[in-house]
Amino acid sequence: MDRRQFIRNGAALSCGAAVGPLAFAAENVPGAAREIRIIAAGGLSGQSVQVGYLDPFTAKTGITVVREDTTGTPLGKLRAMVESGRIDAVLHEIGGPALAQALALNLVQPLRWDAINPAPMFPEARHSHGLGYQYFSVVSAWRSDAKPLSSWRDFWNVQAFPGRRSLPDIPYYSLPIALLADGVAPKDLYPIDLDRAFASLAKIKAQVSVWWASGAQAPQLMSDNEVQYAAVYSGRVAGNAKFGFTFNQGNLAIGYFVVPVGAAEDQRIAAYRLLREFTLPENQAEAAKVVSYTGNSPALDKLLPKDKLSQFPTTQENRAVQVLPDDMFWFRNAAVVEKRWQQFKLSL
Amino acid sequence: MRLSASLWRFVLPLLVLMVLVFDLPLLGMLGRSIDFPDVTLEHYRELFDADLYLKVIVNTFSIAAVVTLLCALLGYPLAYWMRGLSPTAQLIALAMVVIPFWISVLIRTYAWIIMLGNAGIVNSTLKALGLVDDPVAFLYNRLGVTIGIVNVLLPFLVLPLFATMAKVDERLLQASRSLGASETATFWRVFFPLTVPALVAGSLLVFIMSLGFYVTPMILGGGRVSMLVNMLDLLVNRMPNWSLASAISMLLLVVALTLYALSRRLGARSVM
Repeated sequence: MDRRQFIRNGAALSCGAAVGPLAFAAENVPGAAREIRIIAAGGLSGQSVQVGYLDPFTAKTGITVVREDTTGTPLGKLRAMVESGRIDAVLHEIGGPALAQALALNLVQPLRWDAINPAPMFPEARHSHGLGYQYFSVVSAWRSDAKPLSSWRDFWNVQAFPGRRSLPDIPYYSLPIALLADGVAPKDLYPIDLDRAFASLAKIKAQVSVWWASGAQAPQLMSDNEVQYAAVYSGRVAGNAKFGFTFNQGNLAIGYFVVPVGAAEDQRIAAYRLLREFTLPENQAEAAKVVSYTGNSPALDKLLPKDKLSQFPTTQENRAVQVLPDDMFWFRNAAVVEKRWQQFKLSL
Repeated sequence: MRLSASLWRFVLPLLVLMVLVFDLPLLGMLGRSIDFPDVTLEHYRELFDADLYLKVIVNTFSIAAVVTLLCALLGYPLAYWMRGLSPTAQLIALAMVVIPFWISVLIRTYAWIIMLGNAGIVNSTLKALGLVDDPVAFLYNRLGVTIGIVNVLLPFLVLPLFATMAKVDERLLQASRSLGASETATFWRVFFPLTVPALVAGSLLVFIMSLGFYVTPMILGGGRVSMLVNMLDLLVNRMPNWSLASAISMLLLVVALTLYALSRRLGARSVM
């Protein structure tokens, strides 16, 4: 632990212990609450949020942030909170399709970007109702003793690349993957041709042992040699010698922070100031030390460790070969897609 | 039955709690399933949509039926065997049935992955014995889900069944034998009929409980086995279609209550 880190950890500890402004908090945020609550993903991701963004924020402003792990699915919690009118967390982490749904259900309010005053960020992360703070990607991966793939077409080619497969039980990922495997160009992916996607899935389904529902499953299945190839979250395999993976044709996705409708003014002011922290490349570099899902700053590459650049989904090189989702498509077609997905699964 | 005023004071807190946090929300769910204050049976009609929900309903009930049958086939002989043991051995056998009960369902479910996987204990044993060449696919299909649920629910059948069997009057069996009946005839014509109500009541309980499984199909089904509660999760969190989810919940509730009433009646008969 170096000296700077020691001081910061100390600051975080004292903030946790004693509510109230710190003597050395340099910045005063007028009209802001002294304490806010946020709900974010747990595990390593939550830890990266803590050390990357919350600790620096508290050190700068003296505002305490209580971070709670998401339980179940974030949209359900957000909806329950807004419908009951008791907003006890001012920031919620949700995914892209959930953001579109939340928007339609009128659960989230527009962000005041002038108040957030963000550092330069990727355009798609700057949503009218959400700040995309973390990029993650579903990529093709394999056991290190299996023949390496270079595309989803290879993933589908069971003659040349023999072995069992695992795909996400999540149409948001599996349908674009199926189309890419079928030869659709990334730029023609949206709107998703559902018939073609399901026809493509029908070709691979006999080889798919497990349709995974949680991110930890796929790497475990590969470790156990239940499957040899899997579509997995990049962070679960990056830097692990047991697995190989490629960002080529990876499905990028974004985690957003949103503000629920009905959040109090002073809470929002504090939240906007916190959201700015999520756009600072130096904070993102700290977060990237904990988890390899990187932030929204185009200036981040320079701050990342050179030897690990290939593991991060947002570096210039990796970003260029991946595809971004059209979240509005998923939102508009959610009911149809889910129903067809379930029908497909009943045909397995 | 009349409760005296002083007793009411003890009952009231729990009653208020149940009404407020359980019964009222349940009523709310009923309301949601018919789009209250409008009244529509649209969501119930959708349930019988032939190529999705109906399939899941049929799937769920057929898995529950197979689970119940297996529990009965495994549980009855087990309970019968336990009845004949010495009191100490009975205690040990009971402990072995009950101890897994204390372990979280999640852990037991994951344990099956280690046991039944391609590289698991069972498959490597079968391979070592030369019984199979390729690993048997126990997991990530209906078989895996069925094994997992049976494992969890077996004690729910064995314990009441054993309690009933232990209460069967030994003198009835002696009388049967002294009248010249063979062991087989004594079992089938005296002992078995006396335990049937408990068997049926226990089986119904197992059936009801297996309708509500979530973790086991999710983990051991590999995404290929959909049961009603997994569908509920989807409808609540992913679709989100809370009206349809409410309709499914009402259906489950009605089925469970009906079967429960039935098992109560049979159970009541077995006690006398």
